[in-house]
Amino acid sequence: MGIFNRCLTLALCIGACVFGMNDSVCAQTQDAALLYQRGLAASCANCHGTDGKGITNAGMPLISQLTPQEMLAQLLAYKTGALAGTIMPQLAKGYTDEQLQSIANYLGKK
Amino acid sequence: MNRRHFIGQGTAALGLLAGLPALASGRAVNLQSAEIVVVGAGYGGATAAKYLRLLSGNTARVTLIEPNPVFISCPLSNLVVGGSRTLDALTQSYDTLHTNHGITLVRDTVTKIDPDKRTVFLLGSGKTLAYDKLLLSPGISLMMDSIEGLAQANDAGVTLQAWKAGPETIALHKQLAAMQDGGVFAITIPEQPYRCPPGPYERACQVADYFKKNKPKSKVLIFDANQDVVSKPGLFKKAWSELYPGIIEYRPSHTVMGVDPKTRTLKFDIQQDVRADVLNVLPPMRAGALVVNAGLANSNKRWAQVHYLNFESTVAKDIHVIGDSVQNAAFMPKSAHMANQHAKVAAAAIVAELNNWEVNPNPVLNNTCYSFVDATQVVHVASVHQYVAAEKTYKTVAGSGGVSPSPSTLEGEYAWGWARNIWADSLA
Repeated sequence: MGIFNRCLTLALCIGACVFGMNDSVCAQTQDAALLYQRGLAASCANCHGTDGKGITNAGMPLISQLTPQEMLAQLLAYKTGALAGTIMPQLAKGYTDEQLQSIANYLGKK
Repeated sequence: MNRRHFIGQGTAALGLLAGLPALASGRAVNLQSAEIVVVGAGYGGATAAKYLRLLSGNTARVTLIEPNPVFISCPLSNLVVGGSRTLDALTQSYDTLHTNHGITLVRDTVTKIDPDKRTVFLLGSGKTLAYDKLLLSPGISLMMDSIEGLAQANDAGVTLQAWKAGPETIALHKQLAAMQDGGVFAITIPEQPYRCPPGPYERACQVADYFKKNKPKSKVLIFDANQDVVSKPGLFKKAWSELYPGIIEYRPSHTVMGVDPKTRTLKFDIQQDVRADVLNVLPPMRAGALVVNAGLANSNKRWAQVHYLNFESTVAKDIHVIGDSVQNAAFMPKSAHMANQHAKVAAAAIVAELNNWEVNPNPVLNNTCYSFVDATQVVHVASVHQYVAAEKTYKTVAGSGGVSPSPSTLEGEYAWGWARNIWADSLA
């Protein structure tokens, strides 16, 4: 069984190790989960900048000032159609709610 | 502790805890000791090199080999063909990959790979370079021999492709500028798959925009080997009829078989010959020459089949292929945006493998492609591709993706925003 499959969810992997894991496996699982999360968030970087740090005044809406909660709310609103847009409603529909949560957690302003 | 730093700083110890991964060579390496060589610094290779560093907490040893001195963007280069922009606006330095990310840059051309000795041969210096992990992103090669007379027409300067942005892009605009009003520009499109599905149709728009403003008696003829416009068909056809009536003529199911450079004539498989003043003949395409010559183009001898979780060649261990050279999953276009997305999945997978971690079992890719229908108005196509483990491929998500309702200047601003951000994401 792979490292990731030992986790119930990505959030669990990052937040706390699954009960019963030894320390080294736990740490490794967390690192791998963070790698996956960063890779997932990187799918946004083409338009919104590496790690969400987009270029100012470049013509693309900036997301770096959004908190994780604000970002998730926007992403879910795009997904449901509550929020209009050009590309984002079409892209948000392709991600699971869990993926959108993970992206918002990583890219949102801390 | 900042999680973003934690990823890298924890990896050295964790790699040891997990045991060192043994590569095909039998040499035990970890993330810090492995020699990772990336070939090709376009949207795919440059991004891969940068993200190999970022995702390893700047510990991976990454060498990037590229023959060109600067990065020139293919996306937006049709604006240069049409004359509304210069190539300088699309040109970026590679230096930031070294100064910001510590990547070793080698300006040279790889012509051979020895998968047994795990080396690549550099044509310019005559040296070989050893690798533990090799990532190839050489783009496409043009199958000039598939159209009779095309190579000679190119040599004579009669035809240009300008399908790799650079001097040919400028030269094609100069041919249009030198053409008399009332002349004919003909572009021929190969059967898909080819690099940048909407590119030829966007180019027709840009040339027509130039004619409309400067040479209104001139015509644009599009000869498409496909049965219909393969990308954004409704939007392009609407733009042609509304913006360029009497200028653009679209002829589907026209496969060009030959070119006569003396008479500037196109010869088709079925239809009558057509003469034009400026000829832009796009032949069928396949993976970059390095991929083909290394025997990695194992899909119809044209494209590289890869394992989609890590973009490793299906016929060569520890050699990964990304970008336009890859045999893509269904509905996955050969685009700059997609090459950048391939790069991140491949980079994350290589970092995971060298740490002896499981590769992300659920990668996701998206694509965005903006096309200019004139100098400022733009239409887009977008899609999301989730990995489906049961089928070992990426599939588009039902209900996601789509195109613009109509051209707009707002999306024109987004197109430039996309460009500036993806250049930074790939290079800065």
